[in-house]
Amino acid sequence: MKNKERRFWEHPWGYKESFLIAFTILIVGMLVEALTYGYAPTTPVWPYNLIILIGFVLWLIIANRFLKTGFIKWLSGVPAAIASICVFTVLVLFMGAIQQVRRPGFIDLIGLTDVVSSWQYLFCSFFLLLTLGMTTVNKFRSFSFRNIAFFLNHAGLWIIIAGASLGSGDLQRYRMHLVKDRALFYATDEYNQQIRMPFTLKLINFNIDEYPPKIGLMNPSNGKIYLEKGDKLPEVTPNGKYIFGDWKVSVSQYLETAKLKDSIYQNNKDIGAVPVVYVHAKNTQSGIKKEGWVTSGSFLVQPDILLLDELHAVAMTVPSSKKFSSKIRVFKKVKEYYDIELEVNKPKTVQGWKIYQTGYDEKMGKWSRLSIVELVKDPWLPVVYVGIFMVLLGSLYLVWMGKSKQEKK
Amino acid sequence: MTWLKYPLFAQIASSLWIIGLLVLLFLKSKHKHWISTVLFLTGLGALICFTVNLWISLERPPFRTLAETRLWYALFLAVIGLIIYYRWKLFWMLAYTLLMAVLFIFINYLNPDTFDKTLMPALQSPWFIPHVIVYIVGYAFLAVSSLIGLKGLVMLSRRFDISDTIKLADNIVYIGFSFLTFGLLFGALWAKEAWGHYWTWDPKETWAFLTWLTYLLYIHLRVKKINSKLAFWILTLAFVILLITWFGVNYLPSTQNSVHVYSN
Repeated sequence: MKNKERRFWEHPWGYKESFLIAFTILIVGMLVEALTYGYAPTTPVWPYNLIILIGFVLWLIIANRFLKTGFIKWLSGVPAAIASICVFTVLVLFMGAIQQVRRPGFIDLIGLTDVVSSWQYLFCSFFLLLTLGMTTVNKFRSFSFRNIAFFLNHAGLWIIIAGASLGSGDLQRYRMHLVKDRALFYATDEYNQQIRMPFTLKLINFNIDEYPPKIGLMNPSNGKIYLEKGDKLPEVTPNGKYIFGDWKVSVSQYLETAKLKDSIYQNNKDIGAVPVVYVHAKNTQSGIKKEGWVTSGSFLVQPDILLLDELHAVAMTVPSSKKFSSKIRVFKKVKEYYDIELEVNKPKTVQGWKIYQTGYDEKMGKWSRLSIVELVKDPWLPVVYVGIFMVLLGSLYLVWMGKSKQEKK
Repeated sequence: MTWLKYPLFAQIASSLWIIGLLVLLFLKSKHKHWISTVLFLTGLGALICFTVNLWISLERPPFRTLAETRLWYALFLAVIGLIIYYRWKLFWMLAYTLLMAVLFIFINYLNPDTFDKTLMPALQSPWFIPHVIVYIVGYAFLAVSSLIGLKGLVMLSRRFDISDTIKLADNIVYIGFSFLTFGLLFGALWAKEAWGHYWTWDPKETWAFLTWLTYLLYIHLRVKKINSKLAFWILTLAFVILLITWFGVNYLPSTQNSVHVYSN
């Protein structure tokens, strides 16, 4: 082994030096975090992030081309790569094992309750970008079609990490609480600061489609539905007939939207109206018969169950939502407008802003007059997508070729 | 068809696969190959039959709950095991994948889902199926790699030649790792559409990334072809992290409020 002749810290550095450097970076990061407690590193914004990015790339290229020191060579080697992946893995392990909510204590002091905005995260990401970048640049000098997958994966990952972290300073994410028929051109950020948007939004209509309600037997003392594991609760249908254990239950009246009026349920389409059924229940063992109204209730209507005995009652479940959507009018000027329909998973773009449906007044449910939308502008997104696309292509190549094929070439 | 019918199909698939393996092991007849093939495929057919019926009666893709993903996992493990067996004649691999599939079938037998047609709005997306499928396929390959890791460790302790074993491990990890990458990136592209950002360090994302990093470490350790023992250990342990990502995240205290918990 030629390594035996090499002394510690003598180039070329091996695993020992690499790991020592990597974990020193981690510990120094934690120390800086503790010393500057309360001062998180600030993310650079436009145009400084672009300048940093260009400077970084230029330095990588120049260093790789002209500075042939042991340090530069070490950066593009396997030991440095493994050490930087390893220390980053440890950091992500902290993130996964410790709940990422800030709370006083020692682990908060060394930045482990909010790893992403800690100094050690910044240092370790920088170290990872250094080794990954130098490796990519080094390989690029001997670029050929044979190592295309290597290049796509390494350069792609570098672009993703660099683009996402440097671009995060330019990421704008705001919320708008749209109330029906009221125009709004201010959004709020995470600190509740108001930001003026280049357009005005007005909620025309908010709508929820629901799955049909279900019916079953419930234990009235604890409110739990009796349901064998693996079984299903039947949906409520007009004239539905159900068998729950010893009880035969049948629906004789089904009002899709109804409200209590003069102590009986009547068809009603007003706010808070709910599906209601009139059910007959008969115990097949004892022959006892019961009948009555059953509804899941809403914020305006009390839930109603049909008590059968001490342990059983017929109950209806609250319908779960299938889709919620907002019809929104977008104004560029007072008389220049158009309408968009927002839905979860179907954001719309308005003047460079992506608008997302995120929430509504859950207490009011489908009668919500409030629709919460999120407005996002991420100018660095195309950069990150280029990286993602490169890694996707590189991975596709790896699936096709596997490891051995690559090496045979 | 609900999960109540599941035990029947589970028993058919598991028993046919186990009988098939026993036939291959102990039957001396020259017909044992086609007999076992018929048994394996019939068992697979039973499981596919249940899955298809479940899909039809759920009226939504059955990829939402843990039990549903376990069902797919059993299916893909069996398919991958059979392909590897008929392509490379690796009996131990077939035995492992089928027994692992039987284990997952059995877990579902003990823990069936409540049949629930509802699909929350966040999951109603064209990304839903590809995102889950590539992960399940990746997990199936990486399960195989973890067994190779264990086998390698045993072989090392007995001083056997491991050069073929580790080559096989490398190839399987490359495939499995690529599928993990697809899963992560499809997830990122979907998250941008659903939640406004491609990466939010949600607990499930963090653990998925951790799994990915562990296999990345393995791949880089193997570049210099050194220390097979460490490599085998990583393969074995990485699968534990993978399982935490898949199931553990639903139970870990550090991961409350994950947007990735969709079971009831």
